[in-house]
Amino acid sequence: MLEIKKRYVIPGDVIIEGNYRPLMNVIKKDNFIIATRIGIAESSKDGIKVIPLSGVYIPRINDIVIGKIVDNSSLSWEVDINACFSAHLPAQDVFGRDFSPAKDDMKKRLAPGDLVTARIITFDRTRDPMLTIQEKDLGKISNGEFLKISSTRVPRLIGKRGSMIQTIEQATQTRILIGQNGILVVTGKNDEGIALAFKAIKLVEEEAHTSNLTQKVKDLLNVSEEITQTETNNSSVNNEHYVNNSNRDNNSNNMANDHSSNINTESPKEVQPH
Amino acid sequence: MDQTILIDENGKRTDGRSIDDLRDVKITIGVLKNADGSASIEFGKNKIMVAVYGPREVHPKHMALPDRCVLRCRYHMSPFSTDTRKNPAPSRREVEISKVMREALEPAIMLEDYPRAAIDVFVEVLQADGGSRCAGIAAASVALADAGVNMKDLVAACAAGKVNDKIVLDINDIEDKEGSADMPVAYLPNLEQITLLQLDGILNESQFNECLEKAIHGCKMVYEIQRKALIEKYFGNDLPEGEEKELEENKEN
Repeated sequence: MLEIKKRYVIPGDVIIEGNYRPLMNVIKKDNFIIATRIGIAESSKDGIKVIPLSGVYIPRINDIVIGKIVDNSSLSWEVDINACFSAHLPAQDVFGRDFSPAKDDMKKRLAPGDLVTARIITFDRTRDPMLTIQEKDLGKISNGEFLKISSTRVPRLIGKRGSMIQTIEQATQTRILIGQNGILVVTGKNDEGIALAFKAIKLVEEEAHTSNLTQKVKDLLNVSEEITQTETNNSSVNNEHYVNNSNRDNNSNNMANDHSSNINTESPKEVQPH
Repeated sequence: MDQTILIDENGKRTDGRSIDDLRDVKITIGVLKNADGSASIEFGKNKIMVAVYGPREVHPKHMALPDRCVLRCRYHMSPFSTDTRKNPAPSRREVEISKVMREALEPAIMLEDYPRAAIDVFVEVLQADGGSRCAGIAAASVALADAGVNMKDLVAACAAGKVNDKIVLDINDIEDKEGSADMPVAYLPNLEQITLLQLDGILNESQFNECLEKAIHGCKMVYEIQRKALIEKYFGNDLPEGEEKELEENKEN
C-alpha cells in the first residue's frame, strides 16, 4: 500500500490507480486518485492525501487560531480569523451562563481591534465557525507584534515537534504565538530580537519547500551547534534569563505540540467527500 | 478569397511559424503579492496578468450561494493594450469574454467545496495580440492553482483557425483579422473534456474536425508549459516531476 512517498503533484495529476481511499485534496474518478491541489502526495494505510503548498485558510474544528475582534452584536462577538468566513465568539463563552446583554458590557471585555487566541468548536461550511476562549492558553492577547503568513506554511514554521519555532524563539529571545490560520504574534524583550524573528519567519515562509531549511534559519540567526551548547552550559550564569527561557519554552512546547497534533490527526470528519 | 498572403510558398506564416507551430509561451507565477494567486503569461505578443482572490467572503452578501462558491471573472483590456487607445469601459466584447472565461474555468474548479464564498479572477490584458481569451484562460487556471483552489484539472486553452484555406494552429492578430475562421478552444487535458468552443467563420465538416483536433493538440502543448511553470515555481526546476523525494523534514533531524 505504501507505494507513494512524497510525490510532487499539481491539480489533475493522477496519483495512483486502484481502490484507495481519498483522504484530503484528492478526488476519486473511475479507478484513479486525482490530486486537486499543488502539493505533496502521500499514501498511508488510511488512504491517499495531498499536503497542499498554497491556499487560503479554511477553518477546521479544533484549530487554534488568532483572530481580531471586528464587531459585537448583543449576544456574540464577530471575529476576523483570516478566512472566507468570519467567526463568532458567543458572549456566554466569556461571561458564563448567566450572561445578560443588559447588565454586562461586552466592549469592556473585548473591544473591536483586540486580538484573541481561540479554538474553533464548530464548523461545517454551512454556517460560520464558532469559537471558544475558555481554555488554557486561550484568550485576549495583551501585547506583541502582529504578522501574517500563509496558513500552509504553519506546519513548516513549527517544524518537527516544534523544532523550528523553538530554534527561532531561543535565538531571538522571543515568544511566538502561532494560529493555524497563519496569524502570528511575536513578543520579546527587545526590538532587535523581534525584528530578527520576523526575518527568520519570512525566510521560512518564502523557502518552505526547500530542504535544509533549519540550517538556513540557524545561519540567519547566527546559531551554531556549539553556541547553543555553551549557552545551555552557561545557563547558571544568566540565571534569570534561563528561568524565563525555560518557562517560555515549556509553553511554546505545549502550543507547538497542540498544533502539530492538529495537523497530523486528520480525523475522518475532515475528509472531503467527493 | 483572401487578398493578403498569410502563408508564403514555403509554408511559413507572417511571423515565420509553420502551420503547426505555437507562438512562444512564457508563464510566470506569483507576480502579484497582494493576490492569493497570480500569474502572468506572454503568449506571442500577448501580455496578460491574472490575479485570483479567494475563496473569500461574498460582497454583496445576497450573491452568495448556499451550496457552492460563486466564481466571478473580469476580462479587461488596458487602454494601452492596442495601437489605438481602447476605451477602458467594459465593452460588449469584454463582457462576453468574461462570461465565456468563467464558463471555461467553472468545470475545473470544485466550487461545491467552498459554499457561501466567492472566487474572483481578474484578467488584465496589458498588450493584445490575437488569441487573448485563450491566453487569459490558460493563465487564469494557473493562477487558480497558485491560489490553492481545489481543481479537478488545469484548463489549457489554444485557438486554431483557417487561413488561406489551410487549417493553422494558434492564429495571431493579423490572421484573426484577415483569415477566414478562428476557433478558440479550452480543454481539460487530463479529463479530456472541452470547456470552451467558439467559432468565428465558416468551416465545412472535415475542416471543423481538423481545426478542433489541431486546437486540442495546441491545448496539450500549452498544458505542458503550464505544468512546467507550476512545478518550477513550487518544487524548483532541478527536481523532475514524479521523482520520489524525501521531504525535507525527514532529512533534518
